[in-house]
Amino acid sequence: MKSATFRTEVHEQLERIGQADIIVGIPSFNNARTIGHVVRAVQAGLAKYFPEHKAVIVNSDGGSSDGTIDVVHNTSIDDFNAILLHHRVEPVSKIAFPYSGIPGKGSAFRTVFEIAGALDAKACAVVDSDLRSITPEWIELLVKPVLVGGYDYVSPLYHRHKFDGTITNSIVYPLTRALYGKRVRQPIGGDFGFSGGLAQYYLTKDVWQTDVARFGIDIWMTTTAIANGFKVTQSFLGAKIHDAKDPGTDLSNMLFQVVSATFELMNTYADIWMPIRGSEPVPAFGFEYTVGLEQVNVNTTRMLNIFREGLRNLGEIWRDILGAGDFGEIERLGALADSDFHFPIGLWTRVVYDYALAFHKGKLPVEHLIKSMTPLYVGKTASFIIGAKDMGQQEAEAEIEKLCMEFENCKDYLISNWK
Amino acid sequence: MEDFLNLILEPLKELFLKFKAFVPNLLAMLVILLIGFILARFIKLIVVKFLTAIKFDSWSDRMGFTTLMRKGGLWNKPSAILGGIVFWVVIIVTLMSGLNALQIPATDQLVGQFFSYIPRIFSAAMILIVGYVLSGFFSRAVLIAASNSGFHYAKILAEATHTLLMVLILAMVMEQLQIAPSIVLAAFSIIFGGIVIALAIAFGVGGIDTARRIIEREVTAKSEEETKDEIEHI
Repeated sequence: MKSATFRTEVHEQLERIGQADIIVGIPSFNNARTIGHVVRAVQAGLAKYFPEHKAVIVNSDGGSSDGTIDVVHNTSIDDFNAILLHHRVEPVSKIAFPYSGIPGKGSAFRTVFEIAGALDAKACAVVDSDLRSITPEWIELLVKPVLVGGYDYVSPLYHRHKFDGTITNSIVYPLTRALYGKRVRQPIGGDFGFSGGLAQYYLTKDVWQTDVARFGIDIWMTTTAIANGFKVTQSFLGAKIHDAKDPGTDLSNMLFQVVSATFELMNTYADIWMPIRGSEPVPAFGFEYTVGLEQVNVNTTRMLNIFREGLRNLGEIWRDILGAGDFGEIERLGALADSDFHFPIGLWTRVVYDYALAFHKGKLPVEHLIKSMTPLYVGKTASFIIGAKDMGQQEAEAEIEKLCMEFENCKDYLISNWK
Repeated sequence: MEDFLNLILEPLKELFLKFKAFVPNLLAMLVILLIGFILARFIKLIVVKFLTAIKFDSWSDRMGFTTLMRKGGLWNKPSAILGGIVFWVVIIVTLMSGLNALQIPATDQLVGQFFSYIPRIFSAAMILIVGYVLSGFFSRAVLIAASNSGFHYAKILAEATHTLLMVLILAMVMEQLQIAPSIVLAAFSIIFGGIVIALAIAFGVGGIDTARRIIEREVTAKSEEETKDEIEHI
């Protein structure tokens, strides 16, 4: 495996630093507006919770043109006394530079892993650069389970609006849980903690010229940690609020990126997930508290229209993937009135499993296959929103739990059709 | 009398000599045909076994070739049909070689023309196959993208894409085969130009209200989407 090549000035910085206990990586691309807050929160977190440890903040940038790297260099906490009673002993170093390799979050993370190896770091964390809700406590919650608790991987736990994170809630979480038997609630959360050893293990995998380097790094890190028997835990970080996403980001593209990465990992780890039945809880750190969440507006009529248009236009593809029986069920759903619309969890489970099987068997070009799932996913999401309209957060979570159990109970269907 | 007999026997003798010279060529042709036939059967068998081993039939199902064949009244497996095509190609090549062995000037010219035409047939077949796969790929991409955007006429758009691409590909195939190239070019220009003009008239004049409604609906749907959907899917 070819390692990343650092620029001369980065080499010099690394040589000057020599060794570090903690590395906090911040991947970025044109995040000048928000990255200052993230860097300050990370600096405060390191100063407050790890004053005796040598720490380095690494900003791995994708070639921003808005001065993101300058913001990172110029950001510092002017008055630590306003945050801390005791000033930190070890200073925090900062390295900010454009990464090399194919553009994507995975390439940015690879550089963080390389630096962790070069500095022989014990614990690492990565946080998104567009976060608005990050606090210094996030650093403690992501790093301490590794540094003190002996865990290898820390996945985040957030409080989110019941309608948010629907790809996670209806596909990635139930599927990952049913496959690998670990209840990691936010497998694609984006903010993770991990040991230096796990960072080096990631580097041994030859995936840095694939879609993992482009967009599939989050699920890849989580799955690789679980499937290879690393000690996994979760930390409650509170609410996740980040900068508004680009409105031009296409849902089917998002779905393609997440789902194709998840299905690809199913191929890689088939021997590992096949014998697993049921699931077990993963320990969680952090004090859970209720978070006030903003109202989320949804247009279910428009969503159901997309589902029905999908049924009208993509019916032949769906029939081929789902089989005549389940496609008949989908047709029945298409005839329901908006108010009566309900996508049964058993049917949805089989839809996801059938798509995973079609992906495995190469029934269609990958992008066409996953994107053809979009109207089905939109229909399922609309059904959840209609059903959970008057539910509280806990009731909505109970619905997701039911779906997860369905995924676990139907796993034999997936296995028996996987050749 | 002797002269008279010579007059009769000489042509017969000449005919016999010609026939004597021709018989080895005829035998050579028959042998070539026999070997060619056996070779064709053998190659067909190998091809079918190879295609079965690489699961060509399943691939054809996925690519839509099987459906296309069914529409054309071909009900055998795609691998068997391809095996049959290979068989007949070998037979035709054998037949041409056999005719060449006869060493008759008329057939020699025919055989020469046939062999110089083979590269064109091959490249035309390649254009047709690759073109069909690509047009299927692009029309499906259009169908999925348009459908996911909630566009009501996604299927029509995809079918139009497929048809236009196939027209383009067929024109390229005909041009490659040099079948009335000037007519093909003219027909292609007329059809392609006609479609564009028809669409322009339909939207610009005849269907102006419909076009306005479609555009308004799309714009309204987009603005609704921007103002109302605030879900974070990931």
